[in-house]
Amino acid sequence: MNIVVLVKMVPDTESRLEIVDGKVNESGFKYMVNPYDEFAVEQAVQFKEANGGKVTILSLFSNDGSIDTDLRKMMAIGADEAIVLRQDNYRGDKPSANATVLSNAIKEMEADLIIGGVQGIDYYQSATGPMIAHMLGIPHISGVTNLELNDGKFTAKRQVEGGLQIIECSNPLLVTCQKDMTKVRFPALKDIMMSKRKPFESRTVEPVESNDVETAECSLPPARGGGMIIEGESSEDKVDKLIEKLKTEAKVI
Amino acid sequence: MSVIVVGEVDGNDVKEISQQVAAVASGMGDVIGIVMGKGISDAAMKLSTSKIIIADDEALEYYDPVKFTSIVAQIVNQNNATKVLMGATTMGKDLGPRVAAELGWGYLGDCLEAGNEGFVRPNYAGKVLAKSNTTDSVVLSIRNNAYPAGESWSGSVENFSGEIPDSGLTTTTIENVGAGTIELTEASIVVSGGRGLESPENYDEHIRPLAAAMGAAAGASRAIVDAGWVTHSHQVGQTGKTVTPDLYMAIGISGAIQHLGGMSGSKFIVAINKDSEAPIFKVADYGIVGDLFEIIPLLKSKLEN
Repeated sequence: MNIVVLVKMVPDTESRLEIVDGKVNESGFKYMVNPYDEFAVEQAVQFKEANGGKVTILSLFSNDGSIDTDLRKMMAIGADEAIVLRQDNYRGDKPSANATVLSNAIKEMEADLIIGGVQGIDYYQSATGPMIAHMLGIPHISGVTNLELNDGKFTAKRQVEGGLQIIECSNPLLVTCQKDMTKVRFPALKDIMMSKRKPFESRTVEPVESNDVETAECSLPPARGGGMIIEGESSEDKVDKLIEKLKTEAKVI
Repeated sequence: MSVIVVGEVDGNDVKEISQQVAAVASGMGDVIGIVMGKGISDAAMKLSTSKIIIADDEALEYYDPVKFTSIVAQIVNQNNATKVLMGATTMGKDLGPRVAAELGWGYLGDCLEAGNEGFVRPNYAGKVLAKSNTTDSVVLSIRNNAYPAGESWSGSVENFSGEIPDSGLTTTTIENVGAGTIELTEASIVVSGGRGLESPENYDEHIRPLAAAMGAAAGASRAIVDAGWVTHSHQVGQTGKTVTPDLYMAIGISGAIQHLGGMSGSKFIVAINKDSEAPIFKVADYGIVGDLFEIIPLLKSKLEN
């Protein structure tokens, strides 16, 4: 089984979000592997361990080499190789352009399964995965909480309102993983050492035209005027006052 | 100029979110609604759009991105539509990007605002708002509760007569895991618990019953999901769900920035915490500093009366 894992590099959750002239100041950002994509790496490695095959990490990013160490950690989990597509002026908020570049690369890889996280924790569009599947002309299943492979057939559980949609599909297929789809292992020291010898290829790719919508202006959400503490003689007194406020001011109950 | 609204049905009714989307779309042009499914014709007619196209077919019993994308694209092309709108539901967030790829249009997911003044969507779990002003054709998914719903009324109805392709996907069933509980992202009230509850048993004893008493969905902080007290489907915040209910109750939740991102769009926020310095109080409209084990049972019994 030939598995391609889509890994997006996203700003660290601790990154300071500061707006300068209507744009997010990205100069101080440090990048990390998108947490949802780690589940995809782990799942891919488990399939390989059970059925044989190859796991290739595929990432699209700028020419910034600072991400390489973090990507190598994915190989310590058990991926066999990494291919990083390097693009001048890469941006994470262009799902259509990025899906075009990634799907072009995947076309040459004869993948049985393409797997990634359900969304990036930067722009939350959940778009690149389904777009890649469409461009490849294959089905996709998004937001999967459990994926099994038996006799060449995948069975996925997909989170929907009030339940789980159980879907069966043969390969090729694209899947995006919900959090906690599987438990990501801590690599042993031996695997970390070995990962340093695994193939790590950087390829330059050209920017592509797309119809992605450009952001005109960013802003911080309006600060909430919170901070009103309900005082009272006793807990009961406070609860009565809260219920009164919910009825008269918030009008929600 | 025509605008397409992809509606969803739940039982005998059109989903509230779909009526909200129909209301948003009515300001953008002539609205054509599409509803796809099996045995959904009667419910689909309630979608508040002037024209409704119904694709009611055995093959559409369960949502399928390949089939649904094809149907939407056929209707877009026949009507020279310039926008496609849908709710940011588990279906909308899955279908929207695929429809955009098929049409070669841009996609904006989970919009908080959509109209002639532009489109606003959250980045970084709502910590940044990104506005765009495109006049190009675009596919949009709209977040629940971002807009009031349109009044239910019926327009002219037509049956879809195009092709439904094969997809390779076979849905065998929908497993009802949360039977009888309310979905977080659709709830008008969310009651969430955090580490202040001290144990998973206390989540079951205090949060779930209060949520049930209020007709609310039960949410959770990341801390207690990571600790295994409740499943991830309850998690509100940066690596969980973003919720925008009319009322959000944060109980024993300190309010880490990742949590605030997922709920600060709520209309009213109530925080109950013993630590008066907890950051949650800075975003709460009403806060109670005190012992939740004393306050929650009181609140529950008074609300039930």
